[in-house]
Amino acid sequence: MKQIPHYQQVKPFFLGIPGFVWQVLFFYVPLLCIIGLSFSGATWLSNFAPFMRASYFTVIGRSLMLATLNATLCTLVAYPVAYFLAFRAGRMKMPLLFLVILPFWNNFLVHIYAWTFVLDHQGIVNTLLLKLNLIQTPIHFLNSFPAVVLMMVYFYMPFMILPLYAALERFDRRLIEASLDLGASWWQTMRHVLIPLSMSGIRTGFFLVFIPSFGEFIIPEFMGGNKNMYVGTVVSDFILGTQTVGQGAAFTIMSSCALIIAAGILYLVLSRTKCLVKG
Amino acid sequence: MRNIKIEHISKSFSGELIIEDLSLTIPAGKFFALLGPSGSGKTTLLRLIGGFETPDTGRIFLGNDDITDKPINQRKINTVFQNYALFPHLNVYENVAYSQSIKGVPADTIREKVTRILKVVHLSAQIDKPVSQLSGGQQQRVAFARAIINEPDVLLLDEPLAALDFKLREKILIELIELQDKLKTTFVYVTHDQFEALTVADQMAIMNYDGQIEQIGTPKEIYEFPISTFVANFVGTTNIFKGSLRTVNGQHYIDIADMGLFQVDIPAQKDYLLTKKHEMFMSVRPEKFFISKKPVEGFANHIRGSVESIVYHGRSTQYNVRLKNGQLVQVFEQNEEHFPQEVIDYDNEVYLYWQKENVVVLER
Repeated sequence: MKQIPHYQQVKPFFLGIPGFVWQVLFFYVPLLCIIGLSFSGATWLSNFAPFMRASYFTVIGRSLMLATLNATLCTLVAYPVAYFLAFRAGRMKMPLLFLVILPFWNNFLVHIYAWTFVLDHQGIVNTLLLKLNLIQTPIHFLNSFPAVVLMMVYFYMPFMILPLYAALERFDRRLIEASLDLGASWWQTMRHVLIPLSMSGIRTGFFLVFIPSFGEFIIPEFMGGNKNMYVGTVVSDFILGTQTVGQGAAFTIMSSCALIIAAGILYLVLSRTKCLVKG
Repeated sequence: MRNIKIEHISKSFSGELIIEDLSLTIPAGKFFALLGPSGSGKTTLLRLIGGFETPDTGRIFLGNDDITDKPINQRKINTVFQNYALFPHLNVYENVAYSQSIKGVPADTIREKVTRILKVVHLSAQIDKPVSQLSGGQQQRVAFARAIINEPDVLLLDEPLAALDFKLREKILIELIELQDKLKTTFVYVTHDQFEALTVADQMAIMNYDGQIEQIGTPKEIYEFPISTFVANFVGTTNIFKGSLRTVNGQHYIDIADMGLFQVDIPAQKDYLLTKKHEMFMSVRPEKFFISKKPVEGFANHIRGSVESIVYHGRSTQYNVRLKNGQLVQVFEQNEEHFPQEVIDYDNEVYLYWQKENVVVLER
């Protein structure tokens, strides 16, 4: 058997070098810097000391809660949308997909301000409700937790819709036909066939939303009235604010560990594809 | 068991008319084959019966029930899909049990039913296996078991053997016949393979490229008495001779230009052909010829030609004989003897003999 020439064997390796270099330079090196910084205090754990109290654990917990809530809500809202796009949209598929992606073309802050105008005391929603005499005084939408959640879901929705759509698009329609043929209702078909088999798409979308949401602090600041602290707020305060970089790094490492553990648990929960079947 | 009545069904897709004004009655409890080339609309017709498509016009009846508007899951009809459509996340037991667990049948009844069905299709040993670990033939049986456990009135089979190799296909065809015999369920079997259709069918219908039914009958009727050259060519192979129909002294002949007159019988129900003035077609199947290097007595018709090519089929030998007028005739001879008395070789001049009873005269 003819030996493949040596340069052919190593060619794939060379093609991978640019990507590898990028990854090392802009991810692993900074990561090592942060880890190094976190242990750079007077004693190697002294940067972690200030954070070993309930108030900071609450911050981490709050971010986790927001991320989980956001990802869950996005899943619940995005699934019907992705389903419609994949199965019912027909010729409208491409235009509608375009509309889903369109918000990305706009600056993020523009979106926040736009929502601020909508939800303001003098915004569209309040004006409409007042005119219809459904309320007497304007509702405080802004600077509240619901506003934060609304904005989070609004912003992260495309990250959920697109992978879900991709998974549902290539779903074998015959499996749905087979389920119906065997007497299942539409809802039973969803529960026993479509959802279990699109679980990988659901997982992908879930984590695409969950992970970034954890570090989110701009939206809580703008929409939440800056009342509560989230992980991002703390890190930003320590690194940009008081310039105590070592402690900022330490808190980052702590939160990241919490994130990894939470993500691991959620992944296991979302891996039981058959759970819906035995019932 | 109830029959299926299809009345004046039409169906188009994206403006293209697939089926037009088609009416058909599928008798209850029989193995019915729907045969046709790709694109003839036979799968569309099957999907209309199953409820996967709705007709543009017309009605479909199951016995006396109008099922035209009934959704898929409310018809007492089950389907075996061409690619089996087994649920990949469920094992054999769960796939077969699906229709029963959906209905809420108690677990021990399900277990008993599934075990019984799997024994019938010879899959008892695979009961707990994930379906991805099964061979093609085994997957096909699971698809089958999954469909019949429901005891439907009608079982639809959409080219179920398309993905299997030849030997396996033969074996499963026989099993299907036995199962249909035992269950007495109406089977509607769609295929483009005429061998499959002829083997399994009690009754069959041939569809042509225009989405219409050319002929309905038993396999033997369709094979021996096709009503058109399309059917004669699609089911089996045949030789078609063009000529004009003449009657001389009470005997009918087909007059082929430059080749002579050949005796034919016109059965009573085909009397109307005698009134037509246009050209007729004479169909003689390859196995109906007797081929010989020497002249022979006792046959009504003969024609001469030279052997252009020989194809050995094991059971039979096919001779392609070139006639004086240029037409190529296919002849099948069964290889009855180890050492044939007369060996026919390339370029031999031969006589082809046939009886007038073995001819079918066709209008189109």
